[in-house]
Amino acid sequence: MTSIWRAREFSTLVILVLEVVFFTWYLWPESGGHPFLNVGNAMLILKYSSIYGIAAIGAAIVIITGGIDLASGAVIGLTSVVIGYFFVEAGWGLFPSAMMGLLVGLSAGLVSSWLIVGLKLPPFIATLGVMGIWRGVGFIITEARFYDLSARLPRNWTVAGVPIDWVPPIVMVVLVVVFQIVMKQFQWGRSIFAVGGNEMAALFSGVRVGLVKTTAYVSAGLLAATSGVVLAIVQGQGKADLANGYELDIIASAVVGGASLSGGRGSVAGAVLGALIFGVLRNALPQIPGATFYDRVIVGLAVIVIVVMDQVMVRKAR
Amino acid sequence: MKRVVLAGMLLVLGVVACGGGTDDAPKKLRFALIPKSLDIPVFDYARIGGERAATALGVEVIYRGPDRPDALRQKEILESFITQKVDGIAISVLDASFLASTIDRAVEAGIPVVTWDSDAPESKRVAFYGVDDFESGQIMGEETAKLLGGKGAVAFITSLGANNLQRRLDGAREVLAKYPGITVIETYDIKEDSVRTGEIIATGTNRYPDLGAWISVGGWPVFSANALAPVPPTTKFVSFDTVASAISLLREGKVQILLGQKYFGWGEEPIKILHGIKNGNPPATTIVNSGVDVVTMANVDAYEASWKVLAGGGQ
Repeated sequence: MTSIWRAREFSTLVILVLEVVFFTWYLWPESGGHPFLNVGNAMLILKYSSIYGIAAIGAAIVIITGGIDLASGAVIGLTSVVIGYFFVEAGWGLFPSAMMGLLVGLSAGLVSSWLIVGLKLPPFIATLGVMGIWRGVGFIITEARFYDLSARLPRNWTVAGVPIDWVPPIVMVVLVVVFQIVMKQFQWGRSIFAVGGNEMAALFSGVRVGLVKTTAYVSAGLLAATSGVVLAIVQGQGKADLANGYELDIIASAVVGGASLSGGRGSVAGAVLGALIFGVLRNALPQIPGATFYDRVIVGLAVIVIVVMDQVMVRKAR
Repeated sequence: MKRVVLAGMLLVLGVVACGGGTDDAPKKLRFALIPKSLDIPVFDYARIGGERAATALGVEVIYRGPDRPDALRQKEILESFITQKVDGIAISVLDASFLASTIDRAVEAGIPVVTWDSDAPESKRVAFYGVDDFESGQIMGEETAKLLGGKGAVAFITSLGANNLQRRLDGAREVLAKYPGITVIETYDIKEDSVRTGEIIATGTNRYPDLGAWISVGGWPVFSANALAPVPPTTKFVSFDTVASAISLLREGKVQILLGQKYFGWGEEPIKILHGIKNGNPPATTIVNSGVDVVTMANVDAYEASWKVLAGGGQ
């Protein structure tokens, strides 16, 4: 029981719960149903948060190794374009088109890790370059147009009997459970923490640092591409500038969820909780009349307040 | 070996020099066509319009713009065309106050500048071609009031910071203020993010299930059918832009009114104005109001037919 209270994710979960309680109170209606606290709205938060949350799992893994991945937004955008190209232009089915989309993430991860592990470039520079190239490829394919997937997708369709709107949150939950177990219980996960904690010590302990880093960036690329698949389906669009700037929100989710930018510390479950914290803000603020003019300031302040609160809670838990 | 390389270089230089001296053909006019950003789909129609004007007038049109809405990058492109000494520049201005001095520099260097879509009224530009955004907003307001029978709640979708969107918003608000039965309950800022548009519409619908109408002063909601999926049949939707997906949504009844700009004209008309200036025929007026197309179920067939002709490069 003590371990639950001391778990890194617990403080992030408390912040999320406090946030939900606050908005539930603030938006309490004078009459009728609650506009924030209802099942439909919860699904809405989960659906849109999953775009950030799935990629944030990968961002957390990379950050724990002591690296950074700035290419995630571009990978999401290019994935949507590639799916759009094969699904709309080439007339392929959605599943094979989505598989082609995942190749975008695989290739981004391989290129980034080659630059970082092979050419010893700093991760910031390597992934900045990959971000530019992948975003540019999206523009070359679309020539500034966009693919309207929604015209070919049936309305209110289901996947194995599950409504399509439920699929992104389910994918996010399944992935976070799998990666949380892998990070905690498997050698690969422990190696990720070892490399980020002290790369030299990990090397002398027999950890194959280069391979671990490569698999971390490939995982991040594949997870970002999975976000791209989700986005293409949720948005119904393949467009080169989709998810522009999302890499910062994705990294912020991982950091709010406890990942340390100096490496060695963090949690994939925390990263998803971080994405949900931002998802609640994005959902609740527009429900407050006039808040649209203030939400940039509020979100910025929220990042600082949440990280400070988190650090205080972690110190107290120790 | 060094001699071979040197001889080769001299040969290349000689060919280049001779090639430059033998061209006695009359110089083709070169005009630059600069959109706000290459990533906004409707600007591609301006490119098609520009290419059509180039063919019709026998001029060269160079289409170049920033890959995203970046005023500094647009300034750099504008400056490069001044350096190249093109014969005229047609530009959709991202930031009027930021680019005004560069536009003035082009005009002072003898390069006429025509703005389109988005103006820089404080600059020395020769003319502006585009919609009167305030008037377009008024049309949106009037059409919405008609749809609602003069009563109901309205929410706006915009992206804060763009002057043309703000003018549309002001125009629509001015008209709706005349209807005591209509209440503007919210103005949502989607920050030029298509994904955020869908999220805002879903959240707003959840918050205000009895909403009478949405008015979007930009085309973000109609680029895909998914963004409008949560909107109930009782809520009307009025939006800017008439891309193919928007027309489909209109036919499905998800959207009731669309306002289309003269996208092909954006590229075509400024080039014609520049060509006229270079041939001693300056425009009669500095503001050329293109007007807007109001598309409803009543005229959608005719509109779509004319669109197909224009998209194919016809008149």
